Amino acid sequence: MNDIGFGLTMTVLGMGSVFSVLIVVWGVLVLIGRVDRPETTASATHTLDETQPAAATNQLAPEEIAAIAVAVRLYTASLRREAAPTIRSYWPGSLLFASRWVAAGRTRQNQSWQRRR
Amino acid sequence: MSEFITNLFAGFAALTWQSLVMIGIAAFLFYLAIVHNYEPLLLIPIGAGALLANLPLSPLLDEDGMLTVLYNAGVGNELFPLLIFIGIGALTDFSPLLSNPRMVLLGAAGQFGIFGTLLLALALGFSRPEAASIGIIGAIDGPTSIYVSSLLAPQLLGPITVAAYSYMSLVPVIMPPIIRLLTTPAERRIRMEYVTRPVGRRTRILFPIVITIVVGILVPFSIPLIGMLMLGNLMRESGVVERLTNTSSRELANIVTLFLGLAIGSTMEGTRFLQPATLAILALGILAFALDTAAGLLFGKFLNLISRGRFNPVIGAAGISAFPMAARVVQKLVNEEDFENFLLMHAMGANAAGQIASVVAGGVVLALMGAGS
Repeated sequence: MNDIGFGLTMTVLGMGSVFSVLIVVWGVLVLIGRVDRPETTASATHTLDETQPAAATNQLAPEEIAAIAVAVRLYTASLRREAAPTIRSYWPGSLLFASRWVAAGRTRQNQSWQRRR
Repeated sequence: MSEFITNLFAGFAALTWQSLVMIGIAAFLFYLAIVHNYEPLLLIPIGAGALLANLPLSPLLDEDGMLTVLYNAGVGNELFPLLIFIGIGALTDFSPLLSNPRMVLLGAAGQFGIFGTLLLALALGFSRPEAASIGIIGAIDGPTSIYVSSLLAPQLLGPITVAAYSYMSLVPVIMPPIIRLLTTPAERRIRMEYVTRPVGRRTRILFPIVITIVVGILVPFSIPLIGMLMLGNLMRESGVVERLTNTSSRELANIVTLFLGLAIGSTMEGTRFLQPATLAILALGILAFALDTAAGLLFGKFLNLISRGRFNPVIGAAGISAFPMAARVVQKLVNEEDFENFLLMHAMGANAAGQIASVVAGGVVLALMGAGS
């Protein structure tokens, strides 16, 4: 019974403390948001005309857009290579984008060195 | 001659039924990780630790054995969970919370499972520090559970960690029936507007610094946890230490996860692990998850009431930690009722709040238990 009383006290104090701390955090977050309010510019407040392409792409030449697209694809491929398991090469059968382990020839040690019978 | 034979087969002679059962449990952890993909990064090292610790006469558990060294180096002094927190901070995007700060309250509600489970553990006869450690499974955050239980009840570290991480991977299984039970289809169909409030770079950088100071002053026991979480996030948002951010969230996190898993697995030694208390902890752990979800939902219903039906109560369920899985489960359940209802960013806000709230709750539990005094 004594322990249950202790548990109930813990529950009331614990939940009360968690809520209190997080209410303070809420206030702090609102305050930070107010301090760092982005300046509203004319371009930010104007309504978008849906018949026109987005302003960002409108200002770029087709060559620039193509260059950005290629850069994004290359960057994505690079990330994918990094994410590939290090115990196998990036693409089956290819050592072109091999992982560090494969590139260092470490996986060859796992292959049998005995002549096939 | 017989002495030679005895020495040669010492392993067989030292085999006990407990070690055999634990080897089976290690195999089960491997099965869950490899076949069902349940938290494989954790369950494979934990399974390996359990296997190696339960092989008879394992030198890895000697005074200078590798598993003992790992345990003393990173679990006994709480180093490993804190290092993992740097990686979690570097991976977490708090902008959904920053653009909608009121969601922070849902994170608080999602911690009720800690205290509800603590009450039940006390009723089952666990000591106060043990009950608090079991309750902290309800923080639904592996490193927090490890940190708190290693301070309050290190003897229960094994089952508590296994429960915390296993159930975390079962969030998509545990949450949906509770959500369906406590909400109506009409409630799940409620759509919520997005207030497009841009989050500036200055806000993102100020957030980890200010939160560390505020939470650190209010709950000093949470300084290690919140400090490391926010350090990782500051590195990410500052954008000036990309190498450190990448290392923290990849290499460091991977290395520490491996060491942590092995060290935790080594605590699952048969004679200590195979106790009725372990079964009780596993049962209480799942209850902690259910209570958290239910409390979050009920708080969501309360917000629905005071907002005159404009708040979707299902978002409350994302207030538990388990970042970002809980938010994804919420979105999936909402989509079952209305395919065009997109609440993911609201749910992510609540989920990010749950991440902070679980750390705060861990510090509060330690403070209330007078840890370290």
